[in-house]
Amino acid sequence: MRVRIPRRLAALAAVTALLSSCGLAGGDDDVVTLDFWCWGDLQTARVDAFNAAHPDIQVRRTDAGGGNDSATKLLTASRAGNAPDVTCVEYQTIPALVVSDVLADIADHVGGLADEFTDETWQLTSFEGQVYGVPDDVGPMVLLYNRARFEELGLAVPATWEEFAEVAAEARERDPDTYVATFSPTEFGNFAGLAQQGGATWWEVDDRRWTVGIDDEASQRVAGYWQDLIDRDLVNAEPLLTPEWNNRVNRGEVLTWPAGLWSPSVIYGIAEGQAGDWAIAPLPHWEGESDAVAFQGGSALSVTNDAENVEAAVEFVSWMETAAESTDVQISGGQYPASLSGQEAAVLSDPPTLTAGQDDYWDVATAAARNTVPHIQWGPNVTTANDAYADAFSAAIRDRTPLTDALARTQREVVAEMERVGFPVTG
Amino acid sequence: MSETTSGPASGPATDLAAGAAPAAVSAPAPDSGSGNGARGAPPPRAGGGRRGLGGFLAPYVFLTPALALFVAFLAIPVGYALYLSVQGLRIVDEGVFGTRSEVFVGFANYADILTDSTFWAGFGRMALYGVIGVPLTLGAALLFALLLDYGGARARRFSRAAIFLPYAVPGVIASLLWGFMYLPSTSPFSHVTEELGLGGIPFLDGGWIFPSLANIAVWGGIGFNMIIIYTALRGIPPELADAARIDGCSEWRLALRIKVPLVAPALVLTGLFSLIGTLQVYGEPTMLRPMTVEIDQTWVPLMYIYRDGFIRDDLPMAAAGSVVLAIGTLVLSLALLRVTQRRTFGGAQ
Repeated sequence: MRVRIPRRLAALAAVTALLSSCGLAGGDDDVVTLDFWCWGDLQTARVDAFNAAHPDIQVRRTDAGGGNDSATKLLTASRAGNAPDVTCVEYQTIPALVVSDVLADIADHVGGLADEFTDETWQLTSFEGQVYGVPDDVGPMVLLYNRARFEELGLAVPATWEEFAEVAAEARERDPDTYVATFSPTEFGNFAGLAQQGGATWWEVDDRRWTVGIDDEASQRVAGYWQDLIDRDLVNAEPLLTPEWNNRVNRGEVLTWPAGLWSPSVIYGIAEGQAGDWAIAPLPHWEGESDAVAFQGGSALSVTNDAENVEAAVEFVSWMETAAESTDVQISGGQYPASLSGQEAAVLSDPPTLTAGQDDYWDVATAAARNTVPHIQWGPNVTTANDAYADAFSAAIRDRTPLTDALARTQREVVAEMERVGFPVTG
Repeated sequence: MSETTSGPASGPATDLAAGAAPAAVSAPAPDSGSGNGARGAPPPRAGGGRRGLGGFLAPYVFLTPALALFVAFLAIPVGYALYLSVQGLRIVDEGVFGTRSEVFVGFANYADILTDSTFWAGFGRMALYGVIGVPLTLGAALLFALLLDYGGARARRFSRAAIFLPYAVPGVIASLLWGFMYLPSTSPFSHVTEELGLGGIPFLDGGWIFPSLANIAVWGGIGFNMIIIYTALRGIPPELADAARIDGCSEWRLALRIKVPLVAPALVLTGLFSLIGTLQVYGEPTMLRPMTVEIDQTWVPLMYIYRDGFIRDDLPMAAAGSVVLAIGTLVLSLALLRVTQRRTFGGAQ
C-alpha cells in the first residue's frame, strides 16, 4: 500500500501538469505559432528577423531537406494532416502539390502583393486567378563563365548559341583537356530552361485538359544542338557536381555553366580558390530570335491547407518577400530575390564572391531578370518527367543513341503516367 | 512485486504459478510408461474451473508480448500494404488542375507493374549482381573461416577482427568510400594503372558496374558470414577431427570432407541471408548513382519501388511492387531451402 499511494499521486500530478500546460498554450491567444519548412542556411537569419519584428507571430523553422526531399515529405505530412503552415516549394513542383491538395489558394489574402513582382515571376505561382504561393527567389538563366581561363585561352564570350559552338571548338583546339561546357543528362531543369528559351511549351492546361510538348519542335532543336556538340566532342557529357566534375572545375577544365543566377554560389562552394575568376554574361540566344531567357530553379513560399491561421501565414510570407531585412539576407547569401524591391536592393550590393571582379554583375543579372520567357507552365507530374528525363538521357549518353529519341521517350512516359492517373491529356 | 500485491484478487500471476506447479510435478509421468495417453488428460485441467481457465490462458498470456509486436509491426503493415496495393490515386474534377484522390482500382497496379519491362529489367540486373556477389561472398567467407579454424593459424583474433571490421562500416559509408575509389580522378587504382601507362580502370562504365557494385557487398558481407560459418566450425566436436587425423587424413582433406559437410547448415543459412540481401539491394546502387550514368532510377526493383512511393508519390503502386518483390523473395527462399534441405539435413527432418 505504501507503494501505491505515491504512485497514484505522481500520476495525478503528471496529469494535472499536462492539463495545465495545455491550458496555458491554448489560453494564450495573443501569440500565433507558425510552422515553416524551408531548406538553406539563409532562412535562420530571415526567420529570426521576422520573429524579432513580430511579437504576436512566432515562426518555427524546420529544414526538411532540399526541394525534392521536402516536396516528398510535404505530401506525406499533408496526407497525415500535419503539414507545416508555410513551406518553401520549387516552382516546378507547385502544380503537383496543388493536384495533391496540399497548397492553399491565398488569392483572397494577398491583396496587392502581385505588384511587387514582374508578371512573369508572379505567373510562376498563380494559375487562372488562383494563387498558390509567393515567389521567393528566382534563377533567370545566365552564362556563368571562367573569365580568367577565357582570357588565358583568348576566347570571346559567345552571344548566340551558334557562336557558343564555335567557341567550344576553339577551346578544344587550344587546350585538349578543356571543354567549354558540360551537358548533364540529369539536369532536367537546365534542359527545360534551354528548351523554353527556344520556344518550347512542355505543359499547357486549358480547362483541366493538358497538352504535353516535351518532344515539341523547339525542344528537339535544342536536343539536336547539344547532340551535335557531343558528337564532335566539343562538350563533355556527364553528370554535374560529382566529385569528378568538381575536380575538373578546380583544374579550370570547365569553362562555362549556363544556369540560373544562383550558379555563382554553387561554383564557389566547390572551387573557393577561383573566387574572382568567374563572371556572368547574358545567356546565349538563337541567332535572329528573342533574347528572353527562362528561369532555372528558384522557389516560392506557399501556405498549406493545414494552416489554421491563413492571415498570419500570409503576413509572414509577405514580410519574407518584401521586407528589406529579409531580402538583404537573401542577397548576401547569393540568392536573387523574386520581388522587385529585393532586386533593386541587389543592384546596390557587392557581386557574389565567385564573380567579385565583375563590375557590371548586377546589370547583367537585372537585364536577365527583366527579360524572361512569359507563361511558363509546369505539369502535375514534373517529378516523373524529371526522372524519366534523367534515365532516358543517361541511357542515350551511355549507349550513344540520339538525344531526340530520349526526348521522345520522356514524353511518352510523362503522357502515359498522366493518362494512367486520369488526367485528360493530348500529347 | 508479489509481496506487495498479495490478496484475494491477486490476478493471473498467482493462478499461473499454481497452474504450473502440478504440470511440473506430473511431467515425469509420461516417461514412467503411461505413454501418449497422458497427453489427453493433462493433470492441471482436472484441478477445477478457475485453474483450468488459467491453464487454458497461460500460453496466450505468455505469447501476448510477442504477438502484440508481431501484429503491430508485421501483420498490420503487411495488411495495410496489401490494402494499399489495390488502391490508386486518380484525378477527380476539383480545383484548377483536378485533384488526386485514393480510389479502389482492383488489380490495375499489379497489371501495370507486371507488364512494365523496366521493372523486370531491374530483376535481371539484380540477378547478375547476385550471381557475381553471392558466390564470392560465401566462398571467401568459407575460406577465411576454414583458415581461422586451421590449427596452425597465427594472429587468429586479430585476423578475425580485421575480416569482420568492414561489416561494421555502414553500407552507405562503404558505398561512398568505394565510389571515390572508383571515380577516375580520385581512384588510387586508376592512378597506379595510369602511372604504368595502361590508362584508368573504367570501374563505373559499361559492364564494369556489376563487379564494382558486387565488390562493395562482398567487402562488407564476408565478415558477417565468416563469423557464422566459423562459429559452426567451432561447434564440430574435436574428436571427429582427431579421429580423421589418426586415420591419416590431411588438413586439406579434413577441411573438404569433414568440416565443409558438417557446416552445410550454416552455409545454407548464410546463402539464404545473401539471397535475401541481394533481393533487397538498394543502398549501394543508390549511393553510386550520382557518380555514373550507368545506374538509373529503376536499376534494381527496390529502387523502382522507392521511386514510385517517394518520388512519384504513388504509394499504391509502390505497395504493389513491394508485394510482388516479397512474394518473389518467399518463393526463392522456399526453393533454396527445398533444394538444399534434403542434402544438408539428411534424414533428420
